[in-house]
Amino acid sequence: MLLLLALSLAGCNLLPDASMQDRTVSDASIWAMDTQMDLRLYGDTDGTVMAELTAILNRLDHSLSATSPDSALTALNESGRTDDADVVYLASAAQTISAQTDGALDITLLPVSRLWGFGTDSYAVPEPAALDALRDRVGMDKLTVSDGAGSVSAGTMLDFGALAKGYAADLCRAKMEEAGIAGILSLGGNIQTVGTKPDGSDWIIGVQDPDDMGRYLLTLRLSGSASAVASGDYQRFFMQDGVRYCHILDPKTLSPVRGSLRSVTVVTDGGLKADGLSTALFVLGREAGIALWQSMGDFEAVWIEGDGTVWITPGLKDCVVEGSYQVIEP
Amino acid sequence: MNNIRRGRVSRPANTADPSRPAPHLSTKVWALILGAAFLLLAGLTAWQYLGAKPAARAEVWVDGVLKQTLDLSADGEYRIESAEGWNLLTVSDGKIAVTAASCPDADCVRCGPQNSGPPIVCLPNRVSIRFTDSGGVDGAVR
Repeated sequence: MLLLLALSLAGCNLLPDASMQDRTVSDASIWAMDTQMDLRLYGDTDGTVMAELTAILNRLDHSLSATSPDSALTALNESGRTDDADVVYLASAAQTISAQTDGALDITLLPVSRLWGFGTDSYAVPEPAALDALRDRVGMDKLTVSDGAGSVSAGTMLDFGALAKGYAADLCRAKMEEAGIAGILSLGGNIQTVGTKPDGSDWIIGVQDPDDMGRYLLTLRLSGSASAVASGDYQRFFMQDGVRYCHILDPKTLSPVRGSLRSVTVVTDGGLKADGLSTALFVLGREAGIALWQSMGDFEAVWIEGDGTVWITPGLKDCVVEGSYQVIEP
Repeated sequence: MNNIRRGRVSRPANTADPSRPAPHLSTKVWALILGAAFLLLAGLTAWQYLGAKPAARAEVWVDGVLKQTLDLSADGEYRIESAEGWNLLTVSDGKIAVTAASCPDADCVRCGPQNSGPPIVCLPNRVSIRFTDSGGVDGAVR
């Protein structure tokens, strides 16, 4: 009877799907973009696709690094101009998402982030005057993209930390679909599923509990290709005088986001979109985030509050495998 | 203000049609059988997917390279060196923990002893500890 019950499980098909049936499994892990990336491919019999994905990730790791002295991004930050295709594409995408989210996504906050100590070994709450001194250097209006080139005002520096892994997932997905390869990528916790598992079952995705990183607060079943990305205050932060300061900065205050949320997960059809929106939704907070979800209508989301309450958009309700939640309705 | 519906899901809930019991069993008996089956399956699902199923081994990855596979049934201490620093791993009571580390934020230490669920990650030292049995979860959003 249990078997019959199990077989009756309905899959959660958010997105179109292409069936890919080769059962050959290949796993690889690399360290790129300051995190571990785990790749599992089905049907890559000669390793060609895995090699191509690894090359993509290594290329982006280098070109999009804000710390590497000879990266394309550093060249932009130092010279104020670039025609590097990846950098220009991401700068343009950031403008779009920033406009959609009322400026909640801002990729010009690198000097502010460093002032707080993120990316260095010395975290500290800066003096308000020091933050004010940086205001002339930040803001999406300091970034211009036109005619295949990107430019920033003097002193402005870009950081693609909120977008780069999502962009990498999109490029990898395109390469896998071109080759007819299914698989799942975890790019530092950004999940990208591609195609269908050889046994036809859904992908099971766990959403990490911010208060107990050894367990999942929610598990979701996803069919076909989908992107799931979380932003929260628990992965990179420091404590000072009993206050938690996370690495995600509010562009309005130039300070770490301090609200009731612990994390936001976005599930949608593109890695870049999921990456940028998860950051923006975390900055906006739950109420403004729900308003954004209502206006955009092309993504699903999970909000986790500090008290452990989980809120999900209605489109995810049938995807939940396990976990307690509350459904937001329009 | 948004309307909120509350729920807790332990799938699947789709069962055989209880409106047509076998002739020799009463509706009450059928309801009890189906209720018990549902509760059992709900428990199994929770056990499988929320990370309660313990893994037998943990893989230690450094800079994207598998360095060691540790048997979680054998207690011990392991010092993992990377180009960025070091992490002290302690295996005890079937779980593994990062009990000390050279990293500035010590997020990995705060994870505490684990034997399932998402990987324990030390970003500064480029160390990742993954469990060989994923508990049916293909990927962890974090």
